[in-house]
Amino acid sequence: MFVAVENLCFRYRNQEVIDQLSLEIQKGEILSILGSSGSGKSTVLRLLSGLETPNKGSITVAGRTFADERHFLPPEKRNIGMVFQDYALFPHMTIRKNIEFGLGSLSKKERKNRAEEMLRLVRMDTYKNRYPHELSGGQQQRIALARALAPGPSLLLLDEPFSSLDADLQINIRNELHDIIKQTETTTVFVTHDREDAKAIADRIVTMRDGAAHDWDSICMTTEHQKEKTLQYS
Amino acid sequence: MKCRILDGVRHFLIYGKRGVLLNVSLFSSKYINIWSILTVGIVLTVIAPNFVILLQFFTEPADQWDHIRQYLLPDLLKNTGLLLLFIGTITIFLGTSLAWLVTAYHFPGNRFFKWGLILPLAIPPYIGGYTYHGMLNYTGVIQTTLRDTFGMEDLDQNYFDILNLPGAVFIFTLFLYPYIYTMTQTYLETQSASLIENARLLGKNGTNIYLSVVLPISRAVIIGGTSLVLLEVLNDYGVVQYFGVPTFTTAIFQTWFGMNDLASAIKLSATVMFIIAVLLIGERILRGRKQYSHTTSRVHPLQRKRLTGWKKWSAFLYCLMVFSLGFMIPGLQLLSWMLLTYEKVATAEFWVLLSNSLIAALSGAAMIMTGALIIANFTRLHKSLPAKALSKITILGYSIPGAVIAVGISTVFIYIDNLLAALYENLDMDGTLFLSTSLLILIMAYAIRFLAIGFNAIDAEFDKAGTSFHEASRLLGKGSVSTFFKVDLPMVKGAVISGFILSFIEILKELPLTLILRPFNFDTLSTKAYQYASDEQIQEAALPSLLIISLSALAIYFFYYVLKKERN
Repeated sequence: MFVAVENLCFRYRNQEVIDQLSLEIQKGEILSILGSSGSGKSTVLRLLSGLETPNKGSITVAGRTFADERHFLPPEKRNIGMVFQDYALFPHMTIRKNIEFGLGSLSKKERKNRAEEMLRLVRMDTYKNRYPHELSGGQQQRIALARALAPGPSLLLLDEPFSSLDADLQINIRNELHDIIKQTETTTVFVTHDREDAKAIADRIVTMRDGAAHDWDSICMTTEHQKEKTLQYS
Repeated sequence: MKCRILDGVRHFLIYGKRGVLLNVSLFSSKYINIWSILTVGIVLTVIAPNFVILLQFFTEPADQWDHIRQYLLPDLLKNTGLLLLFIGTITIFLGTSLAWLVTAYHFPGNRFFKWGLILPLAIPPYIGGYTYHGMLNYTGVIQTTLRDTFGMEDLDQNYFDILNLPGAVFIFTLFLYPYIYTMTQTYLETQSASLIENARLLGKNGTNIYLSVVLPISRAVIIGGTSLVLLEVLNDYGVVQYFGVPTFTTAIFQTWFGMNDLASAIKLSATVMFIIAVLLIGERILRGRKQYSHTTSRVHPLQRKRLTGWKKWSAFLYCLMVFSLGFMIPGLQLLSWMLLTYEKVATAEFWVLLSNSLIAALSGAAMIMTGALIIANFTRLHKSLPAKALSKITILGYSIPGAVIAVGISTVFIYIDNLLAALYENLDMDGTLFLSTSLLILIMAYAIRFLAIGFNAIDAEFDKAGTSFHEASRLLGKGSVSTFFKVDLPMVKGAVISGFILSFIEILKELPLTLILRPFNFDTLSTKAYQYASDEQIQEAALPSLLIISLSALAIYFFYYVLKKERN
């Protein structure tokens, strides 16, 4: 398997946010994690990217161990692209500089070429010298996507990519996003609370639920539940 | 190489000697890196001097301690208590009433007073103190005018003597009320509109609203501002010394330098720290769970009501009176003294003075901002309990009086000097107290005392920026150091500049720390002004005083007028 997550556990303030999560993703697949807010779905992304350290379990991507009992690879060494919910475009840099940011290993000229290529991919090439605040929400999202894809990540993570967009804009951008990702053949995990979003983009959908009857939200897939395949594939 | 050693240490901390996973969140691998090590180092430096003093509280008393406890301590406690009580009450009244007038009403000059009433903060109380004394004494402008112009020869000097406890209360109140005024004013202007408008609609009049709505809703900010005022009073040395009101700071000076009894000075310092602890706990309890701001972000500014007739003019006169007493009169007096004496004062020696001040303040501010950046960056990325505790400790230094910090840091430095004595001997250096008499100890002391100013500025800005920019940069392959310089630092650039200016000004004004810790023959603007005043050369003190005041006033103008206008 290209991405293999095994028995992942994560505790926050003594609460099991993620309990015994196992997940497998094939190369080039777009997986959607569907769940209500607080179900721990964003935490899965943060664990995959290395922004949080798991308490137990292992994560392997493309044969490299990201995290297990003995190893922890810091986020900057994982080669993972992520589009944040609020896009997190650096406000003090132009669009082009934002996209070039992750291309540190290339020469100046190569960096520039790669940035232009990405801008063409998301059809934003005329905006390269603008600053993020001069763009609309949908445009900012495309730049965030271009920035995440520019270094050629082994895995792309999208955190609620449509939550800050207007409803009528969403449908167009949904298709566009799907096409761009498929064009680059990047393995993708994307998290949403919207069933329609998930259906429109994903090759496969995983639902996260709180298995246990606690008043806090988590995926809480206890071992028994896991046997019963609480992870529903559709 | 360095990385490998760090990895080894990290591995040991996480897994222990036998490779068993120690489940301690503080030691989780994320926490052992260059940032955490630097942060812990800085925080330990901040705590060390204070900790030394607390330890001494329990040691055997020195010879003179019995004497001090019996004859000095009751007076010290009485004076300190009276000062805190009266200054606290009057500043609350002045600060909140001015804030309410300026925010809720239109009257002549109201826009100017809004920021003009902050200006008294630019005058350090000790400078204000000797300026007023100089104006009121026998040769001062008031008595000479009464004698020469109005022919009043037999003036009772008692009416003009302010060198006593009520006089000290007057001075402190006049120059410290802006702490409460600014905090309350900002709060009322931005947060209170809907509540006050509702009270107006429910038929309450101005005074009624002030008493039954304004004071209760701004309780949290008032208490916050008042605690700042009281901490300033506890910190002060210049006013109480000059006015002959013995308090803990003067007693620390006296036992340490007069009686040469450092042990008793430490005991006194520990007692002050106890009082401060009571104050801070009291603040917590009084403030309760009340927060400074509403949870909603939909706040709108308060609509001002137009005052008419005599009300309009009394509001104007009240503000004008406070502004004149707190800024204009002492300012003009200093200006006229400066014109009389500047030729005598502005000599080559004065430029040395100026450059000393600048060197101390610039390097102190630089040290503060560096430390503040490191700690703020670490604590925001690790939102855990230990990290939170670290940030609380960082701002602790601000509540400890300068004299107490001086006692603590000297103890630590003398200890280090003793350890290094052999080294000094090998290097053939004169004197065994090399570090304790260097400029370094003074600058470190500034940094410990004012670290909170830099930290709060940066922390607030980091809070606004959030962590996603940092995370985005890490995911794009940049390490934590590279991310810091490329993303985090540019994000808080404004806060770094304003924090730098604020701490620079605070250091420039600082007196007790500087008096105690400055190297031999190292004078700054503040120590020289103080020295002139103590030597009854008040007019000569005008030039250094005015320099301090104008720099502070510029900073206030910049922060409260220019920046606020920009934001609107």
